Amino acid sequence: MSNKQPAPGDQPLLRLQNVESAYGAIKAIRGISLQVRQAEIATVLGANGAGKTTILKTISGIIDPRKGTVEFKGQDITAQDPALIVQQGLSHVPEGREVFPLLSVHANLLMGAYTRKDRDGVARDMEGVYGYFPILRERAAQEAGLLSGGQQQMLAISRALMANPDLMLLDEPSLGLSPKLTKEIFEIVVRINRERGTTILLVEQNANMALNASDYGYVLENGRIVMEDSCAHLREKDDIKEFYLGLKEDGVRGERRWKKKKTWR
Amino acid sequence: MTQLWDLKSIQPNFEVVLPGETIPALFWNAVKQRGPQVWLRQKHLGLWRSHSWNQTGEAVREIAGGLLSLGFAKGECASILANTVIEWVLADLAVLSCGGVSNGIYPTDAAAQVRYLCEDSRSAFLFVEDDEQLDKALEVRERLPGLRKIVVFDMAGLHTLQDPDILSLDALRALGRAHLARQPDQLQQRIDGCASSDLAILVYTSGTTGKPKGAMHLHAGLVYTVRGFNTLIAQDEQDERMCFLPLCHIAERMGGEYFALYTGTKLNFVEHPETVPENVREIAPTVFTAVPRVWEKFYSGVMISLKEASAFSQAAYAWSIAVGNAIADQVLAAQTVSPWLKLKFKVAQWLALNNVRKLIGIHRARFLVTGAAPISPDLVRWYLALGVPMLEVWGMTETCGASTGVPVARMKPGSIGPAVPFNEVRLDPATGEILVRGKNVFAGYLNLPAKTAEAIDPEGWLHSGDVGVMDSDGYLRITDRMKDIIITAGGKNITPSELENDLKFSPYITDAVVIGDRRAYLTAIIMIDQENVEKYAQDQDVPFGNYASLTRAPEVQALIQADLDRVNKKFARVEQIKKFFLLDTQLTAEDEELTPTMKLKRKLVEKKYAAQIEAMYLS
Repeated sequence: MSNKQPAPGDQPLLRLQNVESAYGAIKAIRGISLQVRQAEIATVLGANGAGKTTILKTISGIIDPRKGTVEFKGQDITAQDPALIVQQGLSHVPEGREVFPLLSVHANLLMGAYTRKDRDGVARDMEGVYGYFPILRERAAQEAGLLSGGQQQMLAISRALMANPDLMLLDEPSLGLSPKLTKEIFEIVVRINRERGTTILLVEQNANMALNASDYGYVLENGRIVMEDSCAHLREKDDIKEFYLGLKEDGVRGERRWKKKKTWR
Repeated sequence: MTQLWDLKSIQPNFEVVLPGETIPALFWNAVKQRGPQVWLRQKHLGLWRSHSWNQTGEAVREIAGGLLSLGFAKGECASILANTVIEWVLADLAVLSCGGVSNGIYPTDAAAQVRYLCEDSRSAFLFVEDDEQLDKALEVRERLPGLRKIVVFDMAGLHTLQDPDILSLDALRALGRAHLARQPDQLQQRIDGCASSDLAILVYTSGTTGKPKGAMHLHAGLVYTVRGFNTLIAQDEQDERMCFLPLCHIAERMGGEYFALYTGTKLNFVEHPETVPENVREIAPTVFTAVPRVWEKFYSGVMISLKEASAFSQAAYAWSIAVGNAIADQVLAAQTVSPWLKLKFKVAQWLALNNVRKLIGIHRARFLVTGAAPISPDLVRWYLALGVPMLEVWGMTETCGASTGVPVARMKPGSIGPAVPFNEVRLDPATGEILVRGKNVFAGYLNLPAKTAEAIDPEGWLHSGDVGVMDSDGYLRITDRMKDIIITAGGKNITPSELENDLKFSPYITDAVVIGDRRAYLTAIIMIDQENVEKYAQDQDVPFGNYASLTRAPEVQALIQADLDRVNKKFARVEQIKKFFLLDTQLTAEDEELTPTMKLKRKLVEKKYAAQIEAMYLS
């Protein structure tokens, strides 16, 4: 199925091998192996509780896995300190934005650059994110807590960009946003990828958006990957259409409530 | 608790425990005799609900009344398309009470099969479980002019449906109440008018080749057989059974529904085919009949959790199962078990074996019955070592279920036992085919007199198609299906099922098909057990994405190769499997490759994977 295996010697930017993470006795992800290639947008689709956020948290060092390894740029970063991981060029945009509400927008952005020493670079990147999101420049002095949900999401993405990452982990950027705003955010995410060459690992429930924006996708169910393929192929799969894109035949009665069995073929 | 060395409490019962010569007569006598006692139990919104014989009788009366009000004539057929739920039993008994013919359709069947079965059985009524099953019926309704009404058990999602020919079970019962108020005697007349020589049920054989054939069973045969079952392995009103196999299959229809109807044993319905393991633990049946696949699954579940257990637990288990095995060996050899060993077994039970039994849910089981497919003798021994007698029975749709069975008094794993007391069994002197004669043998295939004549010879012997051997005690052992025997290019006769059963004993292998007819060597197509192999891969840090990549992983290939080597060791060189390939799609009961009981269909698999098979013979 996965014909897009990288050529030998073509090192993926991020590689997870059999990663298993648990909250107490509950295993949230049960042996995940995936890779993200340089300069691509990869996506992990899954329902609530499938383990999407856990994957991202395990990559960025917030959760230490029980098993398995996380490799970034060929280095083993499994269970390293999150700050160290950020310094190596991996930043995380958490689910639900998590901006610092009492700090100004500008200060929030500087927090993103906290681990950096190169002031010129920081200033350049600041201009860069204001370029992507002009509204943030207008609101630079305002407290971040006063921004709208969409603006906060923009801020969270910008804050992550301020670390000048090679890989950005994006956790459900569409959460709580209107369809229009979601579309805008996704357009900018794609622009960031194309213009800055930032590799992106995107976790989404909005399968339609994610499949359109991404190059390669993984489908996660109950902590396991059940399907992986290029997004163009995934969109054509029956199970994806029915369970993730909401496209289904109505059946003989013109309405169908029952669900087909998933086969992941 | 019964002990393996003292099984005197399990005795056959030759008395007639319930009068009646037809299924409706048995049922209505049972309602009279057992009135307020509980018969059926099923979960509703997560809570167990009991249905007494009186309540069951009331429901059956109303459904039957509804059928009568809609003009259901004596001898007409009604089909039931549903999972194993209480309503299945209610509809079945109502149809039979009206003097009708009842036919079951597998809930996993596709619309085209539903059409064929309704057409072939000339069904006038169709009971469906829910909207999903209804949609299948609606897809083909146009082409079924004989189908008059469709009755839906569960109307969730269908309340807006307006169709004069579709009604809910509740609506049918309401019609029945009104109808029986007007004509209170009509149902009783139908019940009394039902003769034991009338056709009662149709059971379509799953048909690994060609169209399914409808085996006809008369009331006389059904009643004769359930009485016979009690002379083989008796159960009574104190027993609890689990009802979970498809009711359209002869095993659950006879061994579950009708045998429980006759003996008064409680029937506990599982929530869903997928919740069987949880439900077994909840129900803790005292009498438990299942197919080998279920027993294999339990065993591999225990083996897997054992691997996760502490070193102490593993040691405790190893010691305990060794004691259990020692006892099983002595009991099988008909030796007396020494008090010292009995004492050791008490410790073993306390230390590990009782927990294993509880983990499966067989801690209350007096005995286990396995049938409907061949089972590995090693697996039977394992259950014996746990201290639970496991009795293998052999039978088929055409014999109305068990036709031979292992008696408790003398168990022989690997054997299907001698003929049951209620039918004759002999081997064809020329071919070794097992032949059966008795009142339990079916009345022929519907609309297929030629096929019937092929199956039953003029002397009344049913040709089973299974080849067996008989030992000096009259115990039979199946060597293979007649048409499955492989003759290799070297001229060696090989019975694939022996190899296949040994392979299936592995927790990592769900099913296997051995190939090699007119070939230089044997090969196998193997279906892995997804859960256990995934677990193995994870424990061994084998990276995999989806199912296909799992089957391709070299470590998984090596794992299966190791199991193959283990099996090959037991066989002569020409009987060894040289190559194999793993099916890389995860099959479900809806797939054509599997029977509804989740066995691989040999002929179909051979045809469908011809390319892969050829590849194994290219060097």
